[in-house]
Amino acid sequence: MRLPATLRDSLRVRLLAGTLVWILASLLAAGWGLSGLFRHHVTEQFHAELRTHLDQLTASLALDAQGRPALSTPLSDPRLSRPYSGLYWQIDRAGALHAGTGVLRSRSLWDDVIAVPADVLVDGEIHRHRLTGPQGARLGAIERIVFTENRPDLPLRLIVAADERLMHEPVERFNDALWLALAVLGLGLVIAAVVQVVVGLAPLRRLRRELAAVRNGGAQQLADDFPVEIRPLVEEFNAVLVQNAEIVARARTQAGNLAHALKTPLTVLANAADVGEGELARLVRDQVDAARKQVDYHLTRARAAAATRFPAARTPVHAAAEGLVRVMRRIHAERGLEVVVAPMPETLTFRGEEQDLQEMLGNLLDNACKWATHRVTVQAADAAGKLVVTIDDDGKGIPAAQREAMLRRGVRADEQAPGSGLGLAIVDDLARLYGGCIELADSPLGGLRAVLTLSAA
Amino acid sequence: MRVLVVEDEPTLAAQLAEALRGAAYAVDVAHNGVDGHYAGAVETYDAVVLDLGLPQMDGITVLKKWRAAGRGMPVLILTARDAWHEKVAGIDAGADDYLTKPFHMEELLARLRALIRRAGGHASAELVCGPVVLDTRNSRVSVDGRALALTSHEYRVLDYLMHHPGKLVSRSDLIEHIYAQDFDRDSNTVEVFIARLRKKLPPGTIETVRGLGYRLAAPP
Repeated sequence: MRLPATLRDSLRVRLLAGTLVWILASLLAAGWGLSGLFRHHVTEQFHAELRTHLDQLTASLALDAQGRPALSTPLSDPRLSRPYSGLYWQIDRAGALHAGTGVLRSRSLWDDVIAVPADVLVDGEIHRHRLTGPQGARLGAIERIVFTENRPDLPLRLIVAADERLMHEPVERFNDALWLALAVLGLGLVIAAVVQVVVGLAPLRRLRRELAAVRNGGAQQLADDFPVEIRPLVEEFNAVLVQNAEIVARARTQAGNLAHALKTPLTVLANAADVGEGELARLVRDQVDAARKQVDYHLTRARAAAATRFPAARTPVHAAAEGLVRVMRRIHAERGLEVVVAPMPETLTFRGEEQDLQEMLGNLLDNACKWATHRVTVQAADAAGKLVVTIDDDGKGIPAAQREAMLRRGVRADEQAPGSGLGLAIVDDLARLYGGCIELADSPLGGLRAVLTLSAA
Repeated sequence: MRVLVVEDEPTLAAQLAEALRGAAYAVDVAHNGVDGHYAGAVETYDAVVLDLGLPQMDGITVLKKWRAAGRGMPVLILTARDAWHEKVAGIDAGADDYLTKPFHMEELLARLRALIRRAGGHASAELVCGPVVLDTRNSRVSVDGRALALTSHEYRVLDYLMHHPGKLVSRSDLIEHIYAQDFDRDSNTVEVFIARLRKKLPPGTIETVRGLGYRLAAPP
């Protein structure tokens, strides 16, 4: 028998099916065995009882002067006196001609005679028969031949019979009780098996929940308190997570190292060119500038691309924003800029790397501070599962027609302003990698409003 | 004004030193974090240009140690990794400004001037004392609008005095701030520079406080 694929793939179905088949087989075997044993025991007891009555009958048998059999003492069992009680005795003369004549019979036989088949018995032997008794009842019977002392020429057949119902009824009652008990036991075992499977597989469900938490950034690692059987799996998976984090960290460090390795020589070149005059110096200046932009752009992208494939990180927004605002206040200290972070819940988190959030907020803040006259504000809120950061300045703003161009790589609204001019393009790129977006609008403060929409955690 | 440059790349360090000397600063150069930290901890500087990626001791650690020891000179950090977390770490460690490599030397000089001015509590790039005007942007001095020709050392002495107008400046203060570390310091030369400056400036601009030092006269 092949289970459908969906059921075959389920551990629960496998475990339950195996257990159920085994429980059923065991219970059937036990029931069959116990029932047989009891039937054997009752049958033995039935015949032992017949034997007792036969012995009693033999002992009280006597022949009167005419050679007719009579009982010296009546048999004790009251059933032998109650008509058709199911327990009978009968005495026949021996010999084929006399079979079933019933010269002397128990009162319970009333006027019936048990039709005993002709039989040849040796003295001392006991034969068993199955006969049809009064009112068509099936009888179990035993007989023996007795030679009396005073008339050894007239042997007698002594027959004791009982209705087989006396034997079947207890067996049936026992069987009813037995199967009921086994059914209850079976039900109990099935419930136990189901509970066992559910409880036993619970760690797997927990594993699934924890994996989901790791995937959506709720946890960095799986817990280490799983059962021994699953622990190797969990440990292996944690090792993979650590390895993954290391790869990201290494990519990041390498990107940083590459930046460092490239930018210091670029600085040297640029400075040398600044001092020099003429065609070559100008060429070097232009190319160094172009190289720097490319390095900035591609390194940021490479770093972020590595991070977004491993979104286990969560970053509190408030701390990141405060850190960047400290930088802004310090470097724009002279201009007396007011940089304000609006109150936001401490629990507000960004689903991603801290460095990437800093990169996006930093570039937006830097831009806002460059153009602001007095005031820059930062607001962040959770809007239907999305993290929305709004940065306003009171500068001169950007005409709507130019905003789109600002987000494109390398375009600078004003070549005079310090900075690489890639800031907004990098923000746009990072936001897209994280499945978010950046929009530019008019600020109520009078300048530019940048709205960064990202996934919250 | 005396500036410390801590930069491990020899060519860039040389370029920085040359540009700063060209802007009339006395310049010391350290090529690693440990030397840089030592110089900043024992000598007196008006500003420091500190690279963050340094051998032996990184820039952030150097800066934190200076600040922990109460060294409050303005520090401009140079970072090659254009990453905001590094800028936040630098500012939180006590830096006053940052520049991302590669930078233009003019921008570095402008930022440094601004830092020194800010440290002295001056809002303008032009320092004025009566008829004497010192433009920190181009290291030019004029009296009543007439340009004054000064040697580099004369300029440094006047520059330091004009950054601290009305305050008593001792001779040793002046020596600390006009000479680089490896320079043969002779306190008598300070008197020579003061004497030369007095000849070029309107009378009474530099007062001598006997036994203590000099003071730039407050504008009448």
